[in-house]
Amino acid sequence: MSFLKKIFWIARNTFTEAARQKFFSFLVLLGGGLMCVSLSLTHFDFGDSELKFIADFGFGGIFLFGSVLSVVTSVQLFFTEIENRTALTMLAKPVRRGEFLFGKFLGVWLLLGVFVVLMCGVLAAVLAWRAGTVAEIAMARGLPMPVLNFDGIAVFAVFQWVRLGIVAAMTIAVASFAQTYLYAVVVSFVALLIGQLQYVLADFASEGKSQIWTKTLAEAATKFIPNLQLFNVGEALVLAPDGLSCGAIWSALAYGMIWIAALVFIGLWFFRSREI
Amino acid sequence: MKSTNSEKENKIPAIEIENLTKDFRVGMRGVKLRAVDNVSFSVNSGEIFGLLGPNGSGKSTTLKIILGLLRPTSGECRIFGKKSSDISVRSRIGFLPEAPYFYGYLTGRELVKYYARMSGVPSQKIEDATEDALALTGMTAAAARRVKTYSKGMLQRIGVAQAVVHNPDLVILDEPTAGIDPIGSAEIGDAIRVMKSRGKTVVLCSHLLGQIEELCDRVAIMNRGKLAVAGTLDEVLTQRDKQLAVIGPGTPLTPELCAELRERYGIYIEDVSQPRISLEKYFLKNLKK
Repeated sequence: MSFLKKIFWIARNTFTEAARQKFFSFLVLLGGGLMCVSLSLTHFDFGDSELKFIADFGFGGIFLFGSVLSVVTSVQLFFTEIENRTALTMLAKPVRRGEFLFGKFLGVWLLLGVFVVLMCGVLAAVLAWRAGTVAEIAMARGLPMPVLNFDGIAVFAVFQWVRLGIVAAMTIAVASFAQTYLYAVVVSFVALLIGQLQYVLADFASEGKSQIWTKTLAEAATKFIPNLQLFNVGEALVLAPDGLSCGAIWSALAYGMIWIAALVFIGLWFFRSREI
Repeated sequence: MKSTNSEKENKIPAIEIENLTKDFRVGMRGVKLRAVDNVSFSVNSGEIFGLLGPNGSGKSTTLKIILGLLRPTSGECRIFGKKSSDISVRSRIGFLPEAPYFYGYLTGRELVKYYARMSGVPSQKIEDATEDALALTGMTAAAARRVKTYSKGMLQRIGVAQAVVHNPDLVILDEPTAGIDPIGSAEIGDAIRVMKSRGKTVVLCSHLLGQIEELCDRVAIMNRGKLAVAGTLDEVLTQRDKQLAVIGPGTPLTPELCAELRERYGIYIEDVSQPRISLEKYFLKNLKK
């Protein structure tokens, strides 16, 4: 059996196991439900910024619930398997640790892909439904027509999938050496938070007033933790008339893929020497 | 030609362990903890071998080294003549860890099929291999149910099924009857006997010494990381300096008679009691359907 087949079956099993859990369905329903609820806020009459409000609500929901799903599922399906000896039954078969870890990551990433597609589908439907009404109002009042780029939502979905892939790879890297479930979850969320504050940390590192050690710490955080803010491009992709250049899109996606590969290899490096 | 190869194969021990030592580093200061200390023994092909010892005696560490999941600090471990770290040898091993947790959202049949794929069973043989393993462990009727609905006994049996689905030559079972009632335990015992009849080598770790005694050809007992004793049950258990006579009914072995036997014939009777069957045998005889 080739290693690709083994990775495929591990990924497929991981995906099946995760997709059948209530936690996944709960987050999908919660995220989708909240996006639909954002429609009921329209009676506040946000005017032409109403679509932006709904879109921001959706972007935030996708990242928040996606991150929770990414961290919890990665720890659940990787670390817990090591803890409760399920991994022993797998690794006692002719399965290499790299195949096991990579299959686990791909299974989680596939689940995150399904999550992102479902969420972006709901967001697109909500935006499309509301954009018609807003356009009618804008026409009646002689205001500029709202901009809504549906292709941009598809690109945004890919961006979020890559971003959540980084979070999952980061969590698996942490879980590969973590000794407790709580440690794996907390450290992963802290890393996620640092990833979301990269521009703030970069400013902090370049400020002259900061102390040496805090500057060094901020600099290290910007170098060794991926910049997740790079993927906050929903507004530019969906609501801006010009969108993003192809170069910017491809370079951000390449950045994400390089980080994913690096984090998976770091995880593998720790996992290979881990005594289970 | 084939039979010659098979004969040669049978002469190669299933497991050979030589001077095996394993140290762990524990705590922040990396204090050395010796879990296995210079252990040597071998397991012959086709036998049922019991690996015994109290908790913390080094059994599980030894098993993990056999499975290639841990690297020994020193010494060697070979499986059918190959180093245990060689990944190819794992396709000849089936393993059930102690108190395993399986994928609860899969059905029993899906689970066993998944392990068959991971073990390299060809896709056209997966269905048959899965059904064989389920039948051997008596899990066919419950195979369509999700694993999370299984009782502890069923979990152990589905665990045995995943261990044997690829028809391994060596089956390692770590506490296969832990937490199971005597009937379920006896069924697992029957499955082990079937494995032996099919020419498999079985290594059994268990605290149920009665079952070990009933099933195993040879045993090794570990204590504090060291091998205390290894050999056949006869070699280990027989008290060569004493004899046992079963006396039929109607012969009153009174103290006076014992004294007379000693005086007249030099027969020294140490203890007189009535034989009784074990509780396990009584349970199986009276409660098994």
